[in-house]
Amino acid sequence: MSTFIIQDKIDELKKILHQSSDVSSRVLEKGQAKIGFFYLKSMTDQELFSMAIYEAAKNYDGKVDIETLENQIIQGNDVKKIKEKEIVENVLKGGVIIFVEGEEEILSVDLLKFPTRTPSEPPTSPVIQGPREGFVEDLKTNVTLLRRRLMSKDLVFKSLNVGKYSNTQIMVSYIDGIADKKIVDQVISKLKKIDIGGVVDSFYILTFLERRPDSLFKQIGNTEKPDIVAAKMLEGRVAIIVDNSPIVLTVPFILLEEMQSSNDYYTNHHYSSFVRVIRLLGLLVAIMLPGIYLALELHHYNILPLNFLITIADTTQGLPFTPFFEILFIFILFQMLYEVSLRLPSYLGLATSVVGALILGDTGVKAGLISPPGVIVVALAKIALYTIPEQSAQISVLQVLFIIIGGSLGLAGIVCAFIYFVNYLNGLDSFDTPYLAPYSPRVTNDLKDGIFISPITELKTRPRSIKNKNKVRLK
Amino acid sequence: MKRSISVRQTGMLCVMMILANKILLLPSLLYKTVKTDGVFVVMALFLVDLLVLGAFLKLKFAYPDKKLKEILDCHVGTILTKIIFAVLMTFFIFKVFLTYSIAFMYLKQQVYQNEFTLLAIVCVLPVINHAVLSGLRTFSRTIELFYYIVVGLFMLCLLIALGSFKQNPAYFIAMPGDFAMAIIKNIFSFGDYVFLFLVIDKIEIEKKDVKRLFKYALFGIALVISLFFIYYSIYKTTAFMHNYAIADILTITVEFNAIGRLDIVAMVTIMMLSLFQMEIFHYGFCECFVGIFSKLNKIFAVVVFDVMFLMIYFILIGQYETMVLYEQTWLPYLGLVADYVFGILCFTLSYLSKEKNKIKKNKRDGYEGDHVIESQGDMLVTEVEEPVEKEDLETLAEQGLNLQGGGNEDSQNA
Repeated sequence: MSTFIIQDKIDELKKILHQSSDVSSRVLEKGQAKIGFFYLKSMTDQELFSMAIYEAAKNYDGKVDIETLENQIIQGNDVKKIKEKEIVENVLKGGVIIFVEGEEEILSVDLLKFPTRTPSEPPTSPVIQGPREGFVEDLKTNVTLLRRRLMSKDLVFKSLNVGKYSNTQIMVSYIDGIADKKIVDQVISKLKKIDIGGVVDSFYILTFLERRPDSLFKQIGNTEKPDIVAAKMLEGRVAIIVDNSPIVLTVPFILLEEMQSSNDYYTNHHYSSFVRVIRLLGLLVAIMLPGIYLALELHHYNILPLNFLITIADTTQGLPFTPFFEILFIFILFQMLYEVSLRLPSYLGLATSVVGALILGDTGVKAGLISPPGVIVVALAKIALYTIPEQSAQISVLQVLFIIIGGSLGLAGIVCAFIYFVNYLNGLDSFDTPYLAPYSPRVTNDLKDGIFISPITELKTRPRSIKNKNKVRLK
Repeated sequence: MKRSISVRQTGMLCVMMILANKILLLPSLLYKTVKTDGVFVVMALFLVDLLVLGAFLKLKFAYPDKKLKEILDCHVGTILTKIIFAVLMTFFIFKVFLTYSIAFMYLKQQVYQNEFTLLAIVCVLPVINHAVLSGLRTFSRTIELFYYIVVGLFMLCLLIALGSFKQNPAYFIAMPGDFAMAIIKNIFSFGDYVFLFLVIDKIEIEKKDVKRLFKYALFGIALVISLFFIYYSIYKTTAFMHNYAIADILTITVEFNAIGRLDIVAMVTIMMLSLFQMEIFHYGFCECFVGIFSKLNKIFAVVVFDVMFLMIYFILIGQYETMVLYEQTWLPYLGLVADYVFGILCFTLSYLSKEKNKIKKNKRDGYEGDHVIESQGDMLVTEVEEPVEKEDLETLAEQGLNLQGGGNEDSQNA
């Protein structure tokens, strides 16, 4: 290692960073010693830098060298000696690099500072009872949120960086002694293989972890709540925390997880079971109701009760569209309104509702363009979709498919399609865990936390459908 | 890598595979020959089926991890093995076709009342093809999930029909000759358990599970026989006119609470049962195909099945009546060979294995202290099992979980 000529080194570093405008450097001459500081204005706490480093060095009485700086001048900060090749990496992570002319060693002081938000209740998973904290974009805060819930020496965080340009830090977290090491190794190995320009959010790496990336169905769990992640890790799952993302991924994933909510464990188990049944019904209604309605209306009207048939016949008489196009039209209308309501500023939300519900819906029916049963069926399916909001994207696609199948092939088509999709889901394994467990294949032990949930005192063992090392949860 | 199915899943397959083609047309066909004694014909044929199931279990325990092809190759030679597979292949494709013809003719006549044929093929073939390609374990899981729904719906049909039950008709009225003729004529509708021989290496079963498997089989049989009794009790002398037993027993029930026609329950049951039965027999066809043409994979088998299926439908038969005629004329011979002759053969093979094992044991006792060299080709040598993770086996094997690898085992192998 050679000694530094401060200005040359600063110029060299600026060149490496393409003379970026947020690059900053300062040189302090103290007696015969010449000290260089190099950092990014956008990533460091400049106030702290001035007070704790620059001013402290300036006011120090005595000879200033690397040892003095490390041990006496810069105290109480995250100071470390680094190698020359690590300079850029440390600068990019909010470090202040310190050189002393004529010396070989380099210091890096971690003064990373960027705007963060405080943990708050995530908008996607509000609860009536239970913790309201949610993950934030800052990785360190997220790690703290998990550590607070699992104060164990066995809680492990393994760090790695992914992304050629983003160099995003990813933490693979698990509980040693519960999680299966093979799954941890598989996750780490899959993450290491990722060669991508940048990871902007955890969803960027989600696809790389899935066994069938081209599948419509979600194969990796995701949540914004630390209590959910902690509970899942206690069952033997592995969490993947990505810097700059409030969404934490968990593997292995089974479909039943979507029926579960953190609320279920904080309320009476009878009520929780009831709510889970409602969610399952909601899922089935959301996927199949418009398709079944079309199948009955077009192919099997003789099966319908007479009064219902008369109502439908009365209301659909004189419509310009065929029943198939009518339902498809209403469905697209609802989907458009949904997309608009997501993107419009909140103060326009009310206006959208008025336009959607009153003008388009009511006037559409009055004008004889769409029928009231059609509107009710599609609206019911759309509302039912949000009993499982995490699967809303997948269910929306399935709704369209079932509308087409129900309209063209009738009930036989719907039964065939349903069996096809169940068979497809049975072929999906997430990290060697059957997707439809514990029902297919049946794992009797895990049924205690299935659609019907037992009290926590009964949940004595960890799920057996998920590979884990320690089966006993409660003694 | 082991990709087997559990006893529970096998039992459910046993129930599913016997239901569909016996609950629609068969009661009416039997009534034409032997009147209400049709129910005893069914009992007699089921008894033989149970013997075939017994033969399967004997063979399974004699050759725990061997494929049917390996067993047959060893004992009857490659050429005869291929001939047996060809017969079974024909048996299975006609089984699929029979189920398809009856179930979807019912849907066409009762529900769709227009050009449904092509639509039915469009929606049936992709589903059963996908199930076969996704592998036995995957579709066994699917059947496991639907089992309670289907059986529940079936029992609901029987329960609703009980409302129309008035008095028992007279039994034991058929002549012995007619009875024997009815057995022979309808033999093709039975013999479904022969499928199990084709997946003999993929079923995990121990001797203690035999009872459990028979319980499932008997439960399925009990369901069919109950249907026969109820059907004959409801229709008595007009049973020959009602070709769709499970649906017809519901048509004369009163509307309950104005919720519409109750035969929708039967309709959904028929759809599901038919699909599952077709999946099972389609899988059997593909196993036979791969057994004959060992260099070709399952995708090829599926394509051949589709082509043959469409050819049979559009060129050879095309009509439901023709299929029913075939079922009563030459298909029984195929059923006789594929099921019963094959069953007897397998039963004999399992005894042959026992005898050879005895000789082997005697030899071993005679040369005490000598090291017995095990050869892979020798069927009689017990295989040394690869070490399997204890943790997984302990907890999961019983419940049908096989956690190694993904679900699409057959397509991956292919």
